[in-house]
Amino acid sequence: MVTLIQLGKYLNKLNKSFWVDWTTVYSYNKLLDDLNRIKNFPEICLKKDPYEVFLNLLLSILNNKVIILLDSDFSEEEYSKLMDDGSNISKSFSNEVEVNSTAELIERIRKLNSWKITLYTSGTTGLPKKVIHTFDALTRSVQISEKHKGDIWGFAYNPTHIAGLQVFFQGFLNQNTIVNLFKKPHNEIKVLVDKYKISHISATPTFYRLLDDKDKIFCVRRVTSGGERLDQNTGEKIMSIFPNAKLRNVYASTEAGTIFSASGDTFTILPELNELIKIEDNEIVIKSSLIGIPNFDKEWYNTGDIVEIISKSPLKFRFLNRKNELINVGGMNVNPNEVEETIKSLDGIKDVLVYAKKNSLIGNILCADIIGELSEKDIRLALKNLIQPFKIPRIINFVSELKTTRTGKKQR
Amino acid sequence: MISKILAIINKVKDNKADELLEVINVNTKLREDCGFDSLDLAELTVRVEREFGIDIFANGNINTVREILEQIK
Repeated sequence: MVTLIQLGKYLNKLNKSFWVDWTTVYSYNKLLDDLNRIKNFPEICLKKDPYEVFLNLLLSILNNKVIILLDSDFSEEEYSKLMDDGSNISKSFSNEVEVNSTAELIERIRKLNSWKITLYTSGTTGLPKKVIHTFDALTRSVQISEKHKGDIWGFAYNPTHIAGLQVFFQGFLNQNTIVNLFKKPHNEIKVLVDKYKISHISATPTFYRLLDDKDKIFCVRRVTSGGERLDQNTGEKIMSIFPNAKLRNVYASTEAGTIFSASGDTFTILPELNELIKIEDNEIVIKSSLIGIPNFDKEWYNTGDIVEIISKSPLKFRFLNRKNELINVGGMNVNPNEVEETIKSLDGIKDVLVYAKKNSLIGNILCADIIGELSEKDIRLALKNLIQPFKIPRIINFVSELKTTRTGKKQR
Repeated sequence: MISKILAIINKVKDNKADELLEVINVNTKLREDCGFDSLDLAELTVRVEREFGIDIFANGNINTVREILEQIK
């Protein structure tokens, strides 16, 4: 009689690849060994290496302990502001779980229902906003089936962001091989995709825009675009580079996870979410039960995403812009108020206005008009120690006065 | 023309405290030889557009100095 565990051990001998980073290959066996070997793991994960992030994440789920996932490039300043709620960097948990096979690992993870993860997203108040998700919310869009067992994923998102976590769980829960494409030089992407025969890629339009127009990549069957608006040119470019792929456009937010998907730029609401999402004054509004913001006490959450209604019945719409001030830079949201406050904290700066300029490569480029005495280079270098790189304005103009509206407010 | 492109490339590099390039040629690659990532390339686009009035990425991807020159000529 062969038990499930024995069968699992036998399957482990096949030693399938779990994570590939350049030429380093981590098998599912190596993952199991590491999960069993580690005695303690931190509550706050600040790791840079995605494999280390995944290990920390899986340990927290297996032991049913909360995890706080932070970008590894947060400055000390940003980090100390985020953690002033009493969170303790040195807090760790002991690993009390042993797993014998990948099948057992996945089974245990899928059975858990009270595990929670804390993420941070750009808030409208000036500081990144805390968002807490359950396993079910995080994996709402994950599809697990025999059909997906042979998928090979290209991993192109930050592993500490919700889109990266969703790709990770989609690949991991189907025991797929996941190949790291995040922050790899764009001229190497085609090489990696061809070498590892990647079948699925999920990335921002900016990622696809940076691929070579002349490239043809035949092994990819499914391309997903998310994180920022997919324009028609980029959609056409994707179809030209990946001639064998179907293109899916998703709308997701850190607050609510994936909510809509479409094959073009016209979205519909999934029937099962019909009662939980509505459009008010052309803004998408989501029922509070779908979102992960702690202590949120209203029934509906205003996303700030403004749409154009194409048809009322059935409801179809297209994304136009954002109502709030967040600026999407290559798929990453930046709060201009946070950047302005940081710049104003520098000696020699009298006033500053941070705003977006449309950019054909990354959607929007961050600009700043500054009244002050420092040089552009000095400001940029000082900001490197204070905020994440994508929040640093790339174009700085020195002015004698800032643009204002008729009511005296600064005009972005 | 190419000396203006070199000055713009060096402006982007200088702003992030990278070592400046002494010389470029038409085959200089923006990513490999200049070490530019997507944010650097976006900044380069704005600075080239300011100088020459052309959005070099509007018609597709740009990899080399030659491709910049072809867009702005």
